[in-house]
Amino acid sequence: MRATLRWAHSDLRTHRGEALFLVLATAGIVASLLLATALFGYATNPWQRVFTQSHGAHVWLHTDTAADTGELAGLDGVDSVAGPYPTAATTVASRGSRAAVELRGTPERPSVDRPPIVSGHWLDRATPNGVVLESRLARALLAEPGDTLTVPGTARRLTVVGLADSAEPRYRPGEQPGLVWALPSAVADPGGQVIGLRLTDPGDTSYVVQRAVTVLGAGAIGEVSTWQQARAEAQGDNRLLGQVLGLFGLGALVAAGLAVHGAISTRIRGHLRDLSVLKAIGFTPGQVVRVFLLQHLAYALLGAVAAAGLAEVLGSRIPGRLGDAVGVWQGLPGHTLALVVIPVGAVLFIGATTGLAAWRAGRVPPVPVPVPVQRPAAPRGGRWSAATGRMLGRRPVTAAHGGRPASGARRLLGLPPAAPRTGRLSGTARRALGARVPPALVLGWHKAFTRRPRSLATVARLTLPLLLIVVAMSAWTTIDRFHSRPEQIGLPTALSVRADAGLGERQTRALLERDPEVAAAYPGVETAALVPGQTATIALRGLGTDQDPYPYTLAEGRPARGADEAVAGQGLLDLLNVRVGDWVRMTVGDQPQILHIVGRSIEPENAGRVISTSLDTLRANDPGLRPTLYELRLDPGAEPRDVADRLATAGRGHLDVHTVTNPADGLSPLRAVVAGLIAVLALIGLIELLTAIGGTVRESERDLLALKAIGLSPRQITAITVTATGCTALAAVLAATALGLPLAHWLIDAQGRWSGIGAGIAQGPSALLMLLLGASAVLCAAALAAVPATRAARRRLADTLSAVA
Amino acid sequence: MSDDRPTPVLRAERLVKTHHGEGAPAHAVRGVDLCVRPGEFVAITGPSGAGKSTLLHLLGGLQRPDSGSIWLAGECTDTYGEARWAVERRKRIGIVFQFFNLVSNLSVADNVELPALLAGTSPKQARAEREQLLAELGLTGKERSMPGELSGGEQQRVALARALVNHPPLLLADEPAGSLDSKGTREVMRLLSRFHQRGQTILLVTHDARLASAADRVISFFDGRIADDAELDGGTPPRRPGISGVLELKD
Amino acid sequence: MRLPLLALLARGPAHGYELKQDLEQLLGSAYPQPNVGQIYVTLGRLEKSGLIEGEDVTQSSRPNKKVYHLTEAGREALRVWFEEPEDEPRVRDEFFMKLALAPQTGLADQISLINQQRRQYLNTMRQLSRLAAAEDRDNRIAHLLIEGAMLHLQADLDWLERCQEELEESE
Repeated sequence: MRATLRWAHSDLRTHRGEALFLVLATAGIVASLLLATALFGYATNPWQRVFTQSHGAHVWLHTDTAADTGELAGLDGVDSVAGPYPTAATTVASRGSRAAVELRGTPERPSVDRPPIVSGHWLDRATPNGVVLESRLARALLAEPGDTLTVPGTARRLTVVGLADSAEPRYRPGEQPGLVWALPSAVADPGGQVIGLRLTDPGDTSYVVQRAVTVLGAGAIGEVSTWQQARAEAQGDNRLLGQVLGLFGLGALVAAGLAVHGAISTRIRGHLRDLSVLKAIGFTPGQVVRVFLLQHLAYALLGAVAAAGLAEVLGSRIPGRLGDAVGVWQGLPGHTLALVVIPVGAVLFIGATTGLAAWRAGRVPPVPVPVPVQRPAAPRGGRWSAATGRMLGRRPVTAAHGGRPASGARRLLGLPPAAPRTGRLSGTARRALGARVPPALVLGWHKAFTRRPRSLATVARLTLPLLLIVVAMSAWTTIDRFHSRPEQIGLPTALSVRADAGLGERQTRALLERDPEVAAAYPGVETAALVPGQTATIALRGLGTDQDPYPYTLAEGRPARGADEAVAGQGLLDLLNVRVGDWVRMTVGDQPQILHIVGRSIEPENAGRVISTSLDTLRANDPGLRPTLYELRLDPGAEPRDVADRLATAGRGHLDVHTVTNPADGLSPLRAVVAGLIAVLALIGLIELLTAIGGTVRESERDLLALKAIGLSPRQITAITVTATGCTALAAVLAATALGLPLAHWLIDAQGRWSGIGAGIAQGPSALLMLLLGASAVLCAAALAAVPATRAARRRLADTLSAVA
Repeated sequence: MSDDRPTPVLRAERLVKTHHGEGAPAHAVRGVDLCVRPGEFVAITGPSGAGKSTLLHLLGGLQRPDSGSIWLAGECTDTYGEARWAVERRKRIGIVFQFFNLVSNLSVADNVELPALLAGTSPKQARAEREQLLAELGLTGKERSMPGELSGGEQQRVALARALVNHPPLLLADEPAGSLDSKGTREVMRLLSRFHQRGQTILLVTHDARLASAADRVISFFDGRIADDAELDGGTPPRRPGISGVLELKD
Repeated sequence: MRLPLLALLARGPAHGYELKQDLEQLLGSAYPQPNVGQIYVTLGRLEKSGLIEGEDVTQSSRPNKKVYHLTEAGREALRVWFEEPEDEPRVRDEFFMKLALAPQTGLADQISLINQQRRQYLNTMRQLSRLAAAEDRDNRIAHLLIEGAMLHLQADLDWLERCQEELEESE
């Protein structure tokens, strides 16, 4: 409708700033959501990342050596081919553990399926016996670059030169052989070949596999593995991360929706007068609603499209991990879908919240002037009235005062009466004024907290993003603790040493303790135990002796002191459905073992399914038990790598020293995500703050004249608004802290419990950090409020008259 | 026998409206009957707070009466919802208020043309009407100004132009000179009389006797009820010859 | 009428008819058609009081006219007149009497008295508006006089409202 367009066009021209603000806010939110999706995918689905980074092959065909694979390159749907590579199935051993592997001869770095190197370097001709292990395999073998692998049954030795990630189905002991890349010369006796196919359309996998099988002949094919299989396997892992991030994302989305809703309804509230006039002119309520809805949807759409465009074009250029994540994400299959769905979803969401605010705008009464205060029932006092009354033959009536002083003042000034206000100045406020507290502070405080529903809503809306920030900061601090204080999360020892048969127990012990930076060495064994009725095995560890107990990180109960006492991880307690204080029975080899669980420790290994006791307890059952490993606790500040090098040299090849893996290493992308999330939440909080400030300033314009008449200077009037905003921000910070810290603890502990590590790992941010957050929030709020408040306080009187709503 | 009097532009029967504010409920309008014929100029006077403005709002569909009926040109408006009243206000009723008549972010020209566009006239015709009205009201040259830049009197004139751009059969005016000085009041009076002479039906709420005296019919409103309904006819012939004794020079 | 005529003579000597014309011109339609007879009578009285002095002037084809001029005493009287402020106009006593006495006589209703008086005032106001419209724009004195009357009427009407409020109160 022409009239609607005319009004919308004019509104845009006059309120350019607000329109821009809304567009930018939407763009910011959509861009953050897009980046968060990229990061989410990056963090929770490492398989996808590895696949994209390595230009993985979609299909791997294991065939015999005689198959003619040349035709596969020309197949329909095949983009490029990796290999064929000669393969040999062997076993390798390292430090007593063995693994079945596939030795694959790869010449130099292939174009398709270039495994990304995790440590060390790729094969080179200088080391003809050099191999690159797939990282999972390496972890199982406890192998690192520089280690030597033996091939049992032969005298061959292979040197590990590097570790790499692979997108193929991973090593599973007994089921899937591990992957070892070697130079073709090292694959002496290939038992088969493997060829990888990279497809133009990943969805066509089964079709291509069919065709390949047809081409090669079914008899020639040994095994086919597809990318879908590999992905399904890998996805079980990072659900923890995914859930946490998903929860955060949802919270951020809700906060964003509230922010936009708040911004829009404040904007509408500022236009109430115009809306009344429009209705009086002849706009129907439906038209008013439609105007607002379409207007704001248009702004939101503009912002969303701009954000999507920017993210697409500039996203991968962002420095650091974020840019990597976006780059990887752009190669992912779900990318286009997400790029369309997220902006559209955001616009619809904003549309829904706008609809609510617009619906309320439609209900604005068409009367532009508020209903005037009815004249007081009793006449105004005065002698004249009594005299006239008597003369007119009536009894004199006592005077009565109607109306509140404020409305009287307004009538005096010739202004239309104000909308009725609840909230008289409280007793404390009055006393404060009497005690010469600066009036600006008292009035500001009063203003922030009088109109109950409205001020509560503002504080609540400001609290939500702050609360999420507090939770995010707790998550960050917890992860930080994993790195800085590992002994508090179940990793009291930094190094783990295994001695081969060349060194005796006492010699090893002496060697280890001789090192200046080793604080203690705890001998131990680690075996698998079968609990009756369970198909799963649990890890049974015997660490330390009764004289020299191992320093477990206890969350509940007490350390194991006497005979048959043990501490268990949460995972084990859940698995066996027992509690601290119960007795459990298990079979070690073929010996039964009964243990009394006296405490719960925090166990990051093996999903917490670990029960630990002292070596002496295990020896009671099996006197010939000898420690197979030594856990070393280092002096604080000691660098594990240096100590490891020293010990390796001192051991003269008989010692294998490894650093204990920190489970938080896998969580380090989470830090980047948390930082990003805090930034998004800060943005949302900023939007809410600006909205609240706008509303407060507009309200204060109404009272400008009255305040000036009371005798407040413009600076004091500004101070009122600034104080009000500061008080609101302070209330929000306090509420966020009070609610956020317990919530964060609960969330993180719940996650810990679920993943088996065990509750008790949660750590809130330090008091200093919280103070910093609170102070910066309040100061930021006050500073942002100062500018528009100053401008409003210095407006000319005539302008304020027209601003009275 | 047919009634050969023309249908009244506005007829109201037993209107009642009570405001429920913070204190005791205020009975703004208590059982008012009113009838306005085409071409009449009716003024409603009374002390402030008597409910005059509320009555006007009821007649313009800006508020719903608690009970009673209103007929616009013979059609009963009891079933009208807010949207329907809004449509009426585009073409059949023009309203001028005391304050806040204009949309603050539209220029003067846009403000005047908006009702025309709403009613469906083409932009060209709307522009022609606007130019004519503004010229008549002495506001040429102010088309692009924003309402905030105009004086009170000018704003009221623009409001009048806006109310009349669609040539509505009925013009409602609520204290149009309430915020103006005496010069502004005289101007408003002059304009209203001029339009009245062209046949415009006007219902005016005012407490200014001068404005009220420009009307044909003055209704006194007291405490929610009509106290008096007087036709002004120039009154009884003056007792003194010539004029009504403004100045008396005594010995 | 005495002092206004004195004031007119302060400009310079004039005869009766000229004075009448001056009055008309000055006051315009705010003043009813000046009564010539009344003017001459007043002039006579002024002469007798010694405030003005007259001189006969012979005319050829018309009756003799008397030209008057101001004396010192007259000038002094004028000065005093200008220096002293005037009393404010009083409340319309007669109407108020009616209003106060109506209930006691039982012959009239107070409210209808008020309504009747209001109608009168409104009609008067209307006539004044017409007068003002008819009057020449440049005659500011006349317009001021009419405006003054209108404002008085407005005050009277406001007072009527007050009276009605008081009476409504008691019911």
